[in-house]
Amino acid sequence: MRRRTTLALCAILAAGLIVAGQAPAQADSKTKRQLISPFFFGHSELSGALPKVERRLPRVPLVAHLGPKQTVGRHGGTLSLLVGRERDTRLMVVYGYARLVRYDDSFQLVPDILENFEVKEGRIFTLHLRPGHRWSDGHPFTAGDFKYYWEDVAHNPELTPGGLPKAFLVDGKPPLFEVLSPTTVRYTWDKPNPHFLPALAGAAPRFIFRPAHYLKRFHVKYAKPQMLKTAAAELRLQNWAALHSLKDNPYRFDNPDLPTLQPWRNTTHGPAQRFIFLRNPYFHRIDPEGRQLPYIDRVILRVSSPSLIAAKSMSGESDLQARSLEFNQYTFLKEGEKRQPYDVRLWKTARGAHLALYPNLNVADPAWRKLFLDVRFRRALSLGINRHEINQVLYFGLGTEGNNSVLPQSRLYEQSQRFRWAEFDPKRANRLLDEMGLTKRNGRGLRLLPDGRPLEIIVESSGEHTEQTDILELVHDSWLELGIKLYSKPGQREVLRKRVVSGQTMMSIWSGLAAGIATADISPAELAPTNPYQFHWPRWGDWYRTGGRAGDPPSLPAAKTLLKLYHDWETATSHAERDKAWRQMLEIHADEVLTFGLIAAIPQPVVVSRRLRNVPEEAIYSWDPGAYFGVYNMDLFWVTRGRKN
Amino acid sequence: MFYFFVRRLAVMVPTLFVISVLIFIIIQLPPGDYLSTLVSELEAQGENVDQEKLDFLRQQYGLDQPLLQQYALWLKGMLQGDFGYSFEHNRPVVQVVGDQVLLSVIIAFATILFTWVVAFPIGVYSATHQYSTGDHVLTFVGFLGLATPNFLLALILMYLANVYFGTSIGGLMDPKYLDQPWSWGKLVSILEHLWVPVIVIGTSGTATLIRRLRANLLDELQKAYVVTARAKGLSETRLLLKYPMRVALNPFIADIGNLLPALLSSAAIVSVVLSLPTTGPLLLKALQSQDMYLAGFLLMCLSLLTVIGMFLSDLALAALDPRIRLTGGRQK
Repeated sequence: MRRRTTLALCAILAAGLIVAGQAPAQADSKTKRQLISPFFFGHSELSGALPKVERRLPRVPLVAHLGPKQTVGRHGGTLSLLVGRERDTRLMVVYGYARLVRYDDSFQLVPDILENFEVKEGRIFTLHLRPGHRWSDGHPFTAGDFKYYWEDVAHNPELTPGGLPKAFLVDGKPPLFEVLSPTTVRYTWDKPNPHFLPALAGAAPRFIFRPAHYLKRFHVKYAKPQMLKTAAAELRLQNWAALHSLKDNPYRFDNPDLPTLQPWRNTTHGPAQRFIFLRNPYFHRIDPEGRQLPYIDRVILRVSSPSLIAAKSMSGESDLQARSLEFNQYTFLKEGEKRQPYDVRLWKTARGAHLALYPNLNVADPAWRKLFLDVRFRRALSLGINRHEINQVLYFGLGTEGNNSVLPQSRLYEQSQRFRWAEFDPKRANRLLDEMGLTKRNGRGLRLLPDGRPLEIIVESSGEHTEQTDILELVHDSWLELGIKLYSKPGQREVLRKRVVSGQTMMSIWSGLAAGIATADISPAELAPTNPYQFHWPRWGDWYRTGGRAGDPPSLPAAKTLLKLYHDWETATSHAERDKAWRQMLEIHADEVLTFGLIAAIPQPVVVSRRLRNVPEEAIYSWDPGAYFGVYNMDLFWVTRGRKN
Repeated sequence: MFYFFVRRLAVMVPTLFVISVLIFIIIQLPPGDYLSTLVSELEAQGENVDQEKLDFLRQQYGLDQPLLQQYALWLKGMLQGDFGYSFEHNRPVVQVVGDQVLLSVIIAFATILFTWVVAFPIGVYSATHQYSTGDHVLTFVGFLGLATPNFLLALILMYLANVYFGTSIGGLMDPKYLDQPWSWGKLVSILEHLWVPVIVIGTSGTATLIRRLRANLLDELQKAYVVTARAKGLSETRLLLKYPMRVALNPFIADIGNLLPALLSSAAIVSVVLSLPTTGPLLLKALQSQDMYLAGFLLMCLSLLTVIGMFLSDLALAALDPRIRLTGGRQK
């Protein structure tokens, strides 16, 4: 099974490479294809309210390439989705997934809004816009929109009080920004900046451009201060900056007046229980036959309490639903298939581990810290976990067992890394523990620490999922065979974090590596101590993040090496160097067993209406890279004519 | 009487002040603030958040100021009629709440109506036909209503309504009427959906009401004045409604004080389960996400309504029952 997926992925990947390589869009424009405007705009076009489709599209539109099982569709139809909160309007930016550069479905970076881009020495980025590209209100989208963001937003002390966003800084230095032509901009750093393109392609992207023509009326530099003041006061805002940032929220997507480049634009002012998104008349993609995308005219987001979403999906109220659905609802949803016209598909999730145990290497108790820092102890604990049992008992055997490492779908995957020190082998684990001198036991058969305390490990969780407690119960049973007792302690998320950082927590259970399907171009920051919220080395992460002002410097040689490799990755100028750094870091993780991955690739149920076409049967449900449905081109999904059945 | 009136009014001011302090403390008790809650919630779904954006918002929302100062600002604003800003909804608190109040009131009124219409006849019947088969059956049903957890009943009814009547799950109207102007179809749709929450919220109230009415009436029915009235030839119905019933009503008048806040909070748990667009779930969400001004505003409203409701029911009792009117003000 896994083999087949890999093969399929390779095929897609190859196709993706070819497309990315030769930019077929340009060739197409020369052959003068017939463009087809959606019927939706027929009336506005006739009345002259909207220009003809030839004038709405950029001179070189992006021709979407269909996936292996995707077909050319038809215009029209409505898609209903359920969301848990009002602010989930942002999901339409995520799903819409129009980015300057984006990941294709094999997770390679390709130009999207940009016609193309050039990167020199990993530090000079030249971005070419599509001539004739327009915002959703018909205003041209040009280099001026980048300039507005750079000069008037990012460099404005009132709008960005903390100074230039960190993603723009390399070693604390900003890039040189130049407008080379109305459709070309360039960012030049002194040193390589590997974070730049992934940030633009992210599910929650860094928007480095803004609709200047719209926002200038809220900017103190262009509008009359007195008018801004009254406008702000009317909305009970403190100043113009608050007003500007309220209007300027391209990610939250809650301002229908803010022009956008996404396939659908919001038309509903909150507060509302139902948000209607209509097709963007100026969207820049077309299908291979020349139809302007997206296929679907309207997307409706309905707000419902998250706990009801499964029940509502089951009664057929959603055409495409994965959010707020969990694996343990699969059988329930499956039952609804008989009564409602939908299919439940199982997509793979992309975390390196669905759940992992994090031994706190910075725990305050010195005796325990010494144990956790000993690689033999970590290996023994990992060997003492029966992952197969967890998979069978809780996930019907559908999960992938093994370490907290990248998944087989990633190009960086090495099979040995996933399974090293991760098979269930209590004998070997016991031998390792004996070797460490933990041979004394008490009356109940528990091993004793050198100071006479029994080996009792308290694993703390955020207490949000009973699933975690179930898993810990299974780990408890298998660790007893090593003479170690596990207690689980559900807490509260914020409290857990504070306890971990202050070293009170010995071990915690949390989700694993986010970049489970990473490519070498994605940041490996998670693998090195870079953040205080990394539960296995919070103090080292704090030390790195604050530049040595808080926390402690890493004392484990492996952690130091990881930091060095992370630095290598950041300063690398070529893909090969980044690839090398990634692989070495993964190797260290596998060998040192810094976290105990339990189970990965837990399937995500996706409810898909039978009328909806072009939604992949098998896919990866991933936030970043992936943007959930985004990489599978939601603008290519289409609805069949006729009644539901 | 006038003195009593003024004193009751005057006491309300410090009461509300103390309540406002308590509310503020309680809202601030959980660790973190709105932004940190937001961050951890987003991260739970795999998203990450811009540190710069957070810093900007923290400054804008005044979350970086000391607590005492935040409280002072809030209090000062409230006195001037500015109830603050909802972080979650990105607009002034009053605008957020406005939409939900009407529906809350509709549900609450329908529920109270349902409760009274069902409970009064049954209560009276049970009392006048004590220990008859009818009494036993109704008592049994009443206890059943009292003992069934609301939310469970809500889930069962919602399921049945969906399977047998095709009513959409949750919410107060069919999805196609959401955010549409009022129309006949919308009203019908609301009525179609309304019965589930009304029955669910109403059952336990109905059961309680039946029991209380029955007990109160039973007390009265055995009193001498009833026998006297009967001896003088008053018809049974007239007798019942004119005397024992009136006395038995006192506890319900006293209850009006609790009805007012109930109008606004309208059974939060049931509303959450049924996904009703009322103020109950709004309050719960605000508390969960630490949207402090919204939560503060709703809690202040509830307290204010409770205080006013109590005041009103005291007045009503005094007006209705001469015994209270004549002895209440007297100091012994």
